[in-house]
Amino acid sequence: MKKYTFLLLAIGAAKILSAQNPAPAAPQSESMIIMNATAHLGNGQVIPNSVIGFENGKITFVADATTVRFEKNKYRKIIDGYGKHVYPGFIACNSTIGLTEIDQVRSTRDFGEVGDLNPNVRSIIAYNTDSKIPPTVRSNGVLMAQIVPRGGTISGQSSVVELDAWNWEDAAYKTDEGIHLNWPRMYIYKGEGSQPEDKQKENMNRSLSSIEFFFRDAKAYSLSSPAEKNLRFEAMRGLFEGNKKLYVHCDYVKEIEAAVNFCRKYGIKMVLVGGDDAWMVTGLLKENDVPVVLGRIHSLPPREDDDVDLPYKLPYLLKQAGVSYAISIEGSWNIRNLGFMCGTTAAYGLSKEDALMSITSAPAKILGIDSTVGTLEAGKDATFFISTGDALDMKTQNVTSAFIRGKEINLDNVQKQLYVKYKSKYGMK
Amino acid sequence: MKNCLFILTGFGIFISTECRSQATFPVNGTTDPRHITYAFIHSKIVVDYKTSMDSATFIVRDGIIVDEGKNLATPPGAVVYDLKGKYIYPSFIDLFSDYGLPEIKKPQPGDGSPQFNSATKGAYNWNQAIRSEYDAFKNFSVDQKKSEELRKLGFGAVNIINKDGIARGTSALVTLGEGKENDVVIRDRCAANYSFDKGTSMQDYPESLMGAIALLRQTYYDAQWYSNGGYKKEFNISLDAWNATQSLPQIFDAGDKQNEFRADKIGDEFSKKFIIKGAGDEYQRISEIKAMNDALIVPLNFPEAYDLSDPYDAINISLSQMKHWELAPTNPSSIEKAQIDFALTTSDLKDKNNFWKNLRKAIDYGLSEQAALKALTLTPSELLRSSDVVGSLRKGMMANFIITSKNIFDKENVILDNWVKGVRYKINEYEMKDIRGTYSLEVKNHAALKLKVTGDISTPEMKLFEDTIPVNVSYTRQGTLITLQYELKKKETKGTYRLSGYVNEDNPVAWYGNALVPGGEWVNWQAKLDSVFIPVTKKDTSKKEIPDLGAVTYPMMAYGWKEIPKAKTVLIKNATVWTNEADGILANADVLISEGKIKQVGKNLSSPGAEVIDGTGKHLTSGIIDEHSHIAVTDGVNEGTESASAEVRIADVIDADDIQIYRQLAGGVTSSHILHGSANAIGGQTQLIKERWGFSPEKLKFDADGMAWPGFIKFALGENVKQANWGDKQVYRFPQTRMGVEQVYNDFFTRAREYENEWKKFNAPDSKIKNKDVPPRKNLKLDALVEILNSKRFITCHSYEQSEINMLMHVADSFGFKINTFTHILEGYKVADKMKSHGVRGASSFSDWWAYKYEVYEAIPYNGAIMHDMGLTVSFNSDDPEMARRLNQEAAKAVKYGGVSEEEAWKFVTLNPAKILRVDQRVGSVKAGKDADLVLWNENPLSIYAKPLQTYVDGIRFYDVDADQQLRDENRKERARLIQKMADAKNKGEGTQKPAMKAQVIHHCDEDEYLLMK
Repeated sequence: MKKYTFLLLAIGAAKILSAQNPAPAAPQSESMIIMNATAHLGNGQVIPNSVIGFENGKITFVADATTVRFEKNKYRKIIDGYGKHVYPGFIACNSTIGLTEIDQVRSTRDFGEVGDLNPNVRSIIAYNTDSKIPPTVRSNGVLMAQIVPRGGTISGQSSVVELDAWNWEDAAYKTDEGIHLNWPRMYIYKGEGSQPEDKQKENMNRSLSSIEFFFRDAKAYSLSSPAEKNLRFEAMRGLFEGNKKLYVHCDYVKEIEAAVNFCRKYGIKMVLVGGDDAWMVTGLLKENDVPVVLGRIHSLPPREDDDVDLPYKLPYLLKQAGVSYAISIEGSWNIRNLGFMCGTTAAYGLSKEDALMSITSAPAKILGIDSTVGTLEAGKDATFFISTGDALDMKTQNVTSAFIRGKEINLDNVQKQLYVKYKSKYGMK
Repeated sequence: MKNCLFILTGFGIFISTECRSQATFPVNGTTDPRHITYAFIHSKIVVDYKTSMDSATFIVRDGIIVDEGKNLATPPGAVVYDLKGKYIYPSFIDLFSDYGLPEIKKPQPGDGSPQFNSATKGAYNWNQAIRSEYDAFKNFSVDQKKSEELRKLGFGAVNIINKDGIARGTSALVTLGEGKENDVVIRDRCAANYSFDKGTSMQDYPESLMGAIALLRQTYYDAQWYSNGGYKKEFNISLDAWNATQSLPQIFDAGDKQNEFRADKIGDEFSKKFIIKGAGDEYQRISEIKAMNDALIVPLNFPEAYDLSDPYDAINISLSQMKHWELAPTNPSSIEKAQIDFALTTSDLKDKNNFWKNLRKAIDYGLSEQAALKALTLTPSELLRSSDVVGSLRKGMMANFIITSKNIFDKENVILDNWVKGVRYKINEYEMKDIRGTYSLEVKNHAALKLKVTGDISTPEMKLFEDTIPVNVSYTRQGTLITLQYELKKKETKGTYRLSGYVNEDNPVAWYGNALVPGGEWVNWQAKLDSVFIPVTKKDTSKKEIPDLGAVTYPMMAYGWKEIPKAKTVLIKNATVWTNEADGILANADVLISEGKIKQVGKNLSSPGAEVIDGTGKHLTSGIIDEHSHIAVTDGVNEGTESASAEVRIADVIDADDIQIYRQLAGGVTSSHILHGSANAIGGQTQLIKERWGFSPEKLKFDADGMAWPGFIKFALGENVKQANWGDKQVYRFPQTRMGVEQVYNDFFTRAREYENEWKKFNAPDSKIKNKDVPPRKNLKLDALVEILNSKRFITCHSYEQSEINMLMHVADSFGFKINTFTHILEGYKVADKMKSHGVRGASSFSDWWAYKYEVYEAIPYNGAIMHDMGLTVSFNSDDPEMARRLNQEAAKAVKYGGVSEEEAWKFVTLNPAKILRVDQRVGSVKAGKDADLVLWNENPLSIYAKPLQTYVDGIRFYDVDADQQLRDENRKERARLIQKMADAKNKGEGTQKPAMKAQVIHHCDEDEYLLMK
């Protein structure tokens, strides 16, 4: 049997290794300038004919080409951006990129640890830079991602990475920036396989009180330095000290209300993740300064009677009410469609530039990295990409080059390699 | 009164002592034969629902109605009941009871391993859910508690059904008497019973509704085969019993309205007229229900109002649930108005005591009293072919009747007696002396008190006054004996008085006795009648007009139509028209549609009387066709319990009430190919539908209007088929490897070929076999495979990896047919050349999915482009109701990945799937003569910013962005109205139920996703 196992693994491995990820890019060695492109700044503004300079990984200036005066010769490389579009690198919140390779293959899944309360578990060390997925995602403009553990009540801590790196240390952009809490379901559910009502209530109450006790004890712990360390509570310190955020995952209105009140009580900075019903409690969210990381925009309305386009217009509803939000796709490979989900929000109420903020400046702010990324502004990281057309529309998105901190990354990926391989088999150009 | 001890009401139901013994039973002691004649005089006799006699006589002896009529002489020696002012009705019959049968115990769930075979030991049917050999009468025993419960409601006989299994065997007609079973069973095998629910069977097959339907159909054919000689080859108790019970009335426990259509369809196929037991929602599709031409058994289980005092709970209750709450009580009346034969049942009532409440409610909501009575008496007896025994009160019939104080439907009516087979069961006292009136109560110690006795005869209320001040009084009464207890407060007479005595029943009534007064002295007392009680006849204010109700909509849910829209003549002018024809994309073109068809495509068209739509700046395309969908299916898309399930048909389980249909329209989808799942190598037969929102399930089918659509069938390869991701318990079903999959195909196609030859031989005119031997057994599974072999049915095969795609084409080649479609086909780019040379009709893929399981690790988004460039007909599909409503965007990905032209990419979701599905003569392009399945977009349909403004199917505008806004407003208003109405109901003290979240089930190939169970 051992032999068989080995054989099977070998077959598997051979297939995985048949295509290769490109090498990560070297640091920016020469200053560059992009001329005459439409610059979408990510803060709601657009410069139709722009100049963008960057060197040593930082943006040196972004300006209107028709009015700005600058010395072209100072830049070693000039990129003609005429007719093209420059966007800040898209930032994917709430992803499992690098934590999973093939969802159905257990040995490739690293996002769900056993146990219910695991705040000390850290996603960053499991982030696999050699996954075949990041190159396919970044070739659609997603250049940074939050890597989030799943499962249990407290899943663990997330980190933000750049999607071009030799190893997780290289990739790490902001480590252990938040803890993820899955708020218990507070509705009674009836349907296939549902438990009896009292059982559901009992489970709900047990979960809610386990959270309550855990946070109560963790807070008390954080105010002392016990001789016997508790790794779970040590991990929780940051929440009470204000340097970590609590990402609360829930969708429905009662859960949202309960979670917001809970975080207020403990003085914790909360981010709501999911939030299908967020539009019903915008006042509460705004008043408590709780931003929302919305789930897939391309989803069905949660309830039969809902407006057919409710998920599409959810960002518009939040924007109208003054609630901060980003949009995300809970997943890995499908995150390459993030730009298009954003595009949909522009078809349902938002301007394209406002829509763009939800995958650039807004996630940067939520993740606490907005001083260095999220917009095209002087002084920020040169993390952006160029598309020949509107990057929010699949019909026109065509990423021709992308930079992460000024490093021009290789946009090749295994799928493009297979494309080339089979075109050549058939003698196609 | 508060303190009144209700000894009086305690008599409840006592069986009268007369119980007949059975002729064959020995007697211990002295025999006690009693052949009493009962004469009921001065009664109103309701002979049947439409015939009655006033002040007539009714004579019963030995359980039989001996005579009835006006001016009949009372036979000498009869026990006489004077029923002046009272009524005699035939007692009720419940056709759908499980009274007296053993409780059906839910089987313990196993460890998750499959159970391929029946667990029933013996020479029974292969499937455990076929229990046609079951006879209820053999398993029946009298249940005093339950019979009493039903008798109190007025029932006298019930048809008892073992509600377990798909074929449930025979039911029996029994009385609700409490004698020995020998005396209680009226008819042994009364009806044969069926359902779609396999009940306690733990055998895997069938796991879906379509599987249950297929099992029933196959069993009908098996039974025919059995009687035509199959019995020589195989002994089968179940088939034998099945055949023996075919001439009985056939009762089908169908369930909701759509399941009723499904049962009826099976009946049509086998020339069976079912008596169909529904779920009480017939009113939602009453004309189709009428068209079934079947009798119905209708429950009275009207839902309680939801307690929506928390608005956050209210959002989880759908409009369809609310509307059904409001309109369910109209169901019986709706059925009556449609002139459908129906019986009412107490079945499905959680609390049987709600029977009368709900029946009266149904009458308030328009059901006529006559129809109600008929549905509880004559109709059930006729349906059971037992109207010679029960169901009306005619000479010679069984003496099953009830005595009531008033018209039985009167709100004040009380059922007094329920006589079962001539045996009296008292329900309420009515032979007691009427002692009501105003008395002066005289006790030695104090001045006379005034005693007022009011209320009803059997449990009157007593009020006592000292002067005019009320005094607390309690009493008991048993027969003629009476006790009173009261307490006086005045100083001189203070204390508790306890009186015991009797009622002198002469006229006028007087009470006498001894009292123990404060101080311990015994004194005489008496109560003298001053005046007789005259009941005030209350005006019946409860009789209301039929309440103000919301409309039935089609379907009965949010976005349903009050009136289904009709095809109109419409001229769309000056649009950019994506013709998908040689003309390509026409700028500033006009399209005229009329009578459901595209009439003209061109410039400067005009048509007097046409509705003109300004298409300026807009794009008009043919409707999107989704080659791979699982929407609009009831109860499961997989019959994955066996490796081959070619006998199951999606066509049998189309669900017209799926909100996804409307959502597809809002995304520009006009046709969806509804597939069986991918759980097995040979899946089930598929169905192409059009998104005709609001139409009945049958009318959703693509070929509903005459033009036939060739049948398709789902096949599948790879991980799902070999159960790779099904967990460690699912490792027994063959095949578990791709190697085995090939053998499944080889085996089944070989058998199909042989099966076909067997039939050919049998049917050949010169056959020597015919009439000499057993005909071949008709096999629905192999029938479908024979159709494939003969290119009459076409395969759409779920496929990922190149090796197995290649294999299947070889299998097909070796049996001489072509694979029509590879669906998913994510590695199609690796074998595009082979597919081309095999001659597949098309490849239908996901645009950009990959990495969700091992077999899609080499899926690439360029797949569509490569296959297209290799000359294959390529389409993109959804396999998901969410993606389906954005298939235009998925098509755009063919532009992004691989540079397919916009015009060609658009065909990926319109013309190409039409070709693949062999319907491109009718749909898929904007061409005169084709079906007017069209979408008007606000801009280039491939753009992420594109939105459908209007969607037409057969020229009917089923979606319109403005009308949609209106429907939303109406939904909101209707919800608000019903939430208020439920709050009113709650405030009035009506029962309520707690709201709960209900999942929207989303079917995919290999899983069911519960949308609210994240």
